[in-house]
Amino acid sequence: MADPAAQNEALRQLLAACAQRDSAAFGRLYETTSAKLFGVAIRILRREDWAEEVLQDCYVNIWIHASKYSAALSAPMTWMTSIVRNRCLDWLRRPNLEVVIENEEDGGNPIDARASEDPGPFEELSRTSDARALADCLARLEAKQRQAVMLAFFEGLSHSELAAHLREPLGTVKTWVRRGLMQLKGCLGTAA
Amino acid sequence: MNYGRNPELIERLAAEYALGTLRGRARLRFARMVRESAAAARAVREWENRLGPMALAVREVRPHRRVWTAIQARLPAAGGAWDSLAFWRNLGLVASGCAAALLVAFVVRDPRFAPVPVEKIAAPSAQMQPAYVAVLSDKAGKVVLLAYADRHSDELWLKPSGMQSIDSAKQVFELWGLPKEPGGAPRSLGLIPPREKATIKLAAAADQSLSDFPALAVSLEPAGGSKTGLPTGPVLYSGPCLKFW
Repeated sequence: MADPAAQNEALRQLLAACAQRDSAAFGRLYETTSAKLFGVAIRILRREDWAEEVLQDCYVNIWIHASKYSAALSAPMTWMTSIVRNRCLDWLRRPNLEVVIENEEDGGNPIDARASEDPGPFEELSRTSDARALADCLARLEAKQRQAVMLAFFEGLSHSELAAHLREPLGTVKTWVRRGLMQLKGCLGTAA
Repeated sequence: MNYGRNPELIERLAAEYALGTLRGRARLRFARMVRESAAAARAVREWENRLGPMALAVREVRPHRRVWTAIQARLPAAGGAWDSLAFWRNLGLVASGCAAALLVAFVVRDPRFAPVPVEKIAAPSAQMQPAYVAVLSDKAGKVVLLAYADRHSDELWLKPSGMQSIDSAKQVFELWGLPKEPGGAPRSLGLIPPREKATIKLAAAADQSLSDFPALAVSLEPAGGSKTGLPTGPVLYSGPCLKFW
C-alpha cells in the first residue's frame, strides 16, 4: 500500500484533472477509489443493487462537480466519502425502505461485520495522521458512546435504529451520540 | 425552524448530519440550510473532515464492471482528454444528434457534395444514395472537418475548416477509424493532404471500409504518418461517423 500522503496527492491531482474534463483521469480516479466507496455504500445500504445505483450517481456527480472540490478544505477521499454517505442516507429516506431497515437481523449479512466489535478498523485507522488522531480520540470515548458513534457512521443507523440495536431507550442513545461527538471534537481539537 | 442565530444548534445539527443520525425532514431542512448558510456549510465540512477518516476502515468491495459502464454512459459528453485511451474507447458511445443537421448544411453549402436537392435530404427517398458522413470537431466543440463518402465509392471527400496550422514539411494529419468494440485499436484511413479540399483513397468502398467505425479521429503525426500503425501524436479532432440514407 502506497504512502497515504502520496495517495492523497495523487487523488487531488486526479480530481483537478477531472475538473479540466480529463476523462482518463476520471477513469483512474474510479479505479483507485471505487472499491472503498462501494464498501462504504454497501455497509450502509446492505444491498449491492442499491449500492451500485448510489455509486453510479455519486461518480457522475463527482465528475460534474470536480471543479468544486477544494484541496484546502478537505482531503479528496473525505470529500468523496461524504458525497457517497449523503447519497446513501438520502436513499434510505425513501419511505418504502423503512421496513427493510427495521427488520434487519444483526450480523446476518456477511458484508455486515460490525465496526464496533471488529478490531480491524483501528488498525486501518492508524495509517494516516488524521485517522490516527481520530482513532485515538475514539478510543478515549466511553465504550457505549464509541459503539453508538461508530455504528451510526459505518452502518448508517438512525437514532431509533441504534436504540433498537443496542436495546437501550432512544433518549439514552441520543445522549451517547451527542456527548460522544462533542468529546470527539474536543479531543481532536487539542490533538491538532 | 429558525436556527440562523444559534451557533450551538448549528454545530450539533452539523455533527449529526455528518454522522448520519440526522434523518427525515430534519435532515432535509438542515441540508437546505447548508446550501444557504456559509456557517452551516463550514460546520458540516469540519465534521465531515473529523469523521471522514473512519471510512478508511471500511473493507473495500470491488464493484461489478457494469457500474463503470453505466457511469460512462451517463456522463455528460466529455470535452477534454482527447488524447486519452478512455476517450478513444468512449467515443463510439457518443451519438451526435446534430450530425444530421450538419450533413444538410454541409451538403447544401458545397455543390460538389450536393448531388441531390435539399428537399430530398430533408425527406430521404429511394433515389438518394446512402452515404457516410463524419463530422469532426475540436476540443471546444467547433466543427473543423467534414468527411463524406458515397457507400459504393472508395473516395472519402474531406473539407477542413479551421484545423490548426502545421508545418507540413515535418507534420501531417492522419485520419483514423475508431472501432465499435471497447479497447479495439484505431485503424488508419490515410493521411490528410494539406489542401482546402482533399480526398483520401479508402482501402475499399465506404460500405466495407467505413461501416465498422462509429467515429473518426485525427491525430497529429510526424511527416509520413504514424510508423506504428496506431496514433502516436495527440488526437486533435474527432466525431461520429454515420451512415445516412
